[in-house]
Amino acid sequence: MKALCGVEAHAAALAGLPVMTPVRLSKLLDGFKPEMAWSAVRAGTHPADPRRRFAYEARKTDVPEVGERYTRAGVRVLLPDAADYPSMLVGDPGAPAVLFALGDPTAPEGRPRVAIVGTRSATHYGRQVASDLASELAGAGVVVVSGLARGIDGAAHAGVVRGAADVGAPPVAVVGTGLDVVYPSSNGELWSEVADRGVIFSESPLGRQPRPGVFPARNRIIAALSDVVVVVESHYGGGSLYTAEAAARRSIPVCAVPGSVHSRASEGTNALLVDGCVPVRDATDVLVAISLARAGRESEVGPGSSSAPGARTSRSTPNHPTRSTTGGRRPQASAEAAMDAPQRAVWEAVDDTPTAFETILIRTDLTIPAAAEACEHLVEQGQLVAGAGWWSKS
Amino acid sequence: MIATIPSAVLIGVDGKPVFVEVHVSNGLPGFTVVGLPDAAVRESRDRVRAALLSSSLPWPLRRVTVNLAPSGVRKGGAGLDLPIAIGVLVASGALDPRTVDNTAFVGELGLDGSLRGVPGTLVLAEALGRYRLVVPAASGHEAVLAREGEIRMSGSLGAVVEQLAGHRPWNQSAVSVPPSLSSPRSTTAPSGMDLADVRGQRLARRALEVAAAGGHHLLMVGPPGSGKTMLANRFPGLLPDLPRPRALEVTRVHSVAGLPLTPCGLIDRPPFRAPHHGASPVAMIGGGSGWMRPGEISLAHGGVLFLDEMGEFSAVVLDALRQPLEEGQVRVSRARGSTTFPARFILVGAMNPCPCGEGGAPGACRCSQSARERYSRRLSAPLFDRFDIAIRVDRPPVDELVGGGPAETTSAVAARVDRARQRAFRRGVSVNADLRASTLDEVVPMTRGAAQVVEKHVRSGALSARGFHRVHRLARTVADLDSVEGVIEEAHVREALLLRSRRELLLGTESR
Repeated sequence: MKALCGVEAHAAALAGLPVMTPVRLSKLLDGFKPEMAWSAVRAGTHPADPRRRFAYEARKTDVPEVGERYTRAGVRVLLPDAADYPSMLVGDPGAPAVLFALGDPTAPEGRPRVAIVGTRSATHYGRQVASDLASELAGAGVVVVSGLARGIDGAAHAGVVRGAADVGAPPVAVVGTGLDVVYPSSNGELWSEVADRGVIFSESPLGRQPRPGVFPARNRIIAALSDVVVVVESHYGGGSLYTAEAAARRSIPVCAVPGSVHSRASEGTNALLVDGCVPVRDATDVLVAISLARAGRESEVGPGSSSAPGARTSRSTPNHPTRSTTGGRRPQASAEAAMDAPQRAVWEAVDDTPTAFETILIRTDLTIPAAAEACEHLVEQGQLVAGAGWWSKS
Repeated sequence: MIATIPSAVLIGVDGKPVFVEVHVSNGLPGFTVVGLPDAAVRESRDRVRAALLSSSLPWPLRRVTVNLAPSGVRKGGAGLDLPIAIGVLVASGALDPRTVDNTAFVGELGLDGSLRGVPGTLVLAEALGRYRLVVPAASGHEAVLAREGEIRMSGSLGAVVEQLAGHRPWNQSAVSVPPSLSSPRSTTAPSGMDLADVRGQRLARRALEVAAAGGHHLLMVGPPGSGKTMLANRFPGLLPDLPRPRALEVTRVHSVAGLPLTPCGLIDRPPFRAPHHGASPVAMIGGGSGWMRPGEISLAHGGVLFLDEMGEFSAVVLDALRQPLEEGQVRVSRARGSTTFPARFILVGAMNPCPCGEGGAPGACRCSQSARERYSRRLSAPLFDRFDIAIRVDRPPVDELVGGGPAETTSAVAARVDRARQRAFRRGVSVNADLRASTLDEVVPMTRGAAQVVEKHVRSGALSARGFHRVHRLARTVADLDSVEGVIEEAHVREALLLRSRRELLLGTESR
């Protein structure tokens, strides 16, 4: 990669100043070229910085060295007038004045894009849905945008990278930390895989640690990058509802995956459905929502008109080829027939939220060893997932 | 003139014989006590003088010197009041030396001359086994427990003098301690609590039963209001009576700590201690300046230590439990010396799964994963490892609370526990938790099918080597409860696997 030219190094240096926020940065760069803004900030004469908040730090900063750091880290610095700056963000009211990218920033261009977001403390059900949706949508050529966080976001990206690298659409992530700060650290592998295949965007400079405020702010970029936002699971008042709100403000359709009314992790999504969001059962519902069902099948996709209401009425026939996920996860009729009486009783006792052993005992009236054996057998068959003291359907 | 009166003081949970030497001579009237007395003993000068005068006994207007021998040992407590008073009477010639021949005295004096009970009379009496012993009537039942020999009881200093002279008969029986003077803390299990009061909770009830039968430490994890405390309070009721040697050990500790004993003196029911989570390390382990007091873990010796809201205890207190849990005793060392307290108990812990209390299963709670991890770390891995059983306790469904048939009573479960313990006793251990890992396969074998079930868990990585032994012991206890004599069967192993403790219970993560 060639060394950063002066404009980009100056923009990165500005973004890297302490206490810099996206809003302050766009004020500083409003009507100023980065070099001009930099020298004005340094001299303390910038009109957007009347209190000379940044002047002292700016004088201590060595701009060529900052450019050097970004080059070494392989991180691109994108300015709104650059050719590689995501076209979806141009003209967006909340567009970042400087965007950092690890990977190929043109990955989302020319493809339909869907954001799959949700809570960090997700249930097994939520992670499964997110991962299946992402995997199928990526296979159909839809770019999946998410936040590389714990729970739903991570599951969505994991679903995308599950497929082969050369088929399907590349993954796109927008994170809140600097691009050299992997957060949460448990996602390290996923992080590098997403960067290899697609791109990770961030508006935080290198080295920026996670801090409150950056995650809601990056949610607006996730929304702005997408044609449709799908919320898989969200608590009441959860962070992913920010994404939904940011999408609604940009007239981007918001879809939600329905959950059990008993599950607290689905409170937010169920509330979205009550408010009139489009329900999502599987990948087809998402494709329909972006009016791409037909195009998705023939892989001649283009950025769709995101008119969801019309799409809802043109719902495809029930035996549509891509509609296989939900049916596939239920146990086959033969598997259910193979269960003995206690296993069937346990299978029926486990509902759609994690079920405690005590509840299974009450519902089945089995002895403790018999119920334990049935649970264990069903886990081995892959029909139940065992947690710590609870079980749920896989 | 000089008089030497035998008595004893407490060192840890042991009595140490002490000779009270009183010397009365001509000189300026005065009263000095030497021989490393602590504040309580030094103050006995004033108590003894007042008690003698109120009992219309003569106080020598001469120089009185009291030496406590051996003079190298630090003496504490007020139990030396009575021997000092008797010594003064003998040395000043008011009492015939022959009447106190070969007689030891223990007792605290009131200013009116009354005799008050002394903590630890049981062990003091043991230490003075070769003497005729005079004790306050209030502590008489403890002294009688200690030994067969001649125990004399009395109610006041005046009475002691008359009784020694033979003018009055000794008290026949001990008087019970008025409740107002006894400590308000309960030592034994709260009475009137029956397991039948607990609705539903089949798994938790079973866990209590297995823990009681096998002496396994038990951890209950669940949201507030799920009945963890209610279950724990009913746990000691399931344990059998203490055998006499163990009962004596327990009584000694309680006597030393000055806690009220049962009317007959001997504590034969397993004690139940539930310290608040603000407890300091010294309160928990034992110690203190001057007088080494046994801590909660020693007061729970032979019984149950229940730590409610275990996550709220300080890390120092919790980690201090590790060594006593392993060794069954605790050695408390201070600059002035060290002492060993017994501490063999069943640990019952209760805690919430996460800071908000609702969680456990994913999606149910609002805590972040890192908050949950931080909360779970309050229970260090080595301490968590001591728990053989860990279960999730959830709030019972409403229809179980209002309806449902009567549940099994404490006595029915206790009978099963008792039979199971007898089976363990025939194997040469008091409880199955004490079975040695190296001899497990030999002493308590499993059927082939059962071994395969466990093996599968070990192979999948869900069970460590230590966990394997734990499941083996648990399975044996389950089999004992089901009255299965021979080998451990598959159903027993499955139940043990379900009850065994797993770290995921706190983290709320999926195990597979």
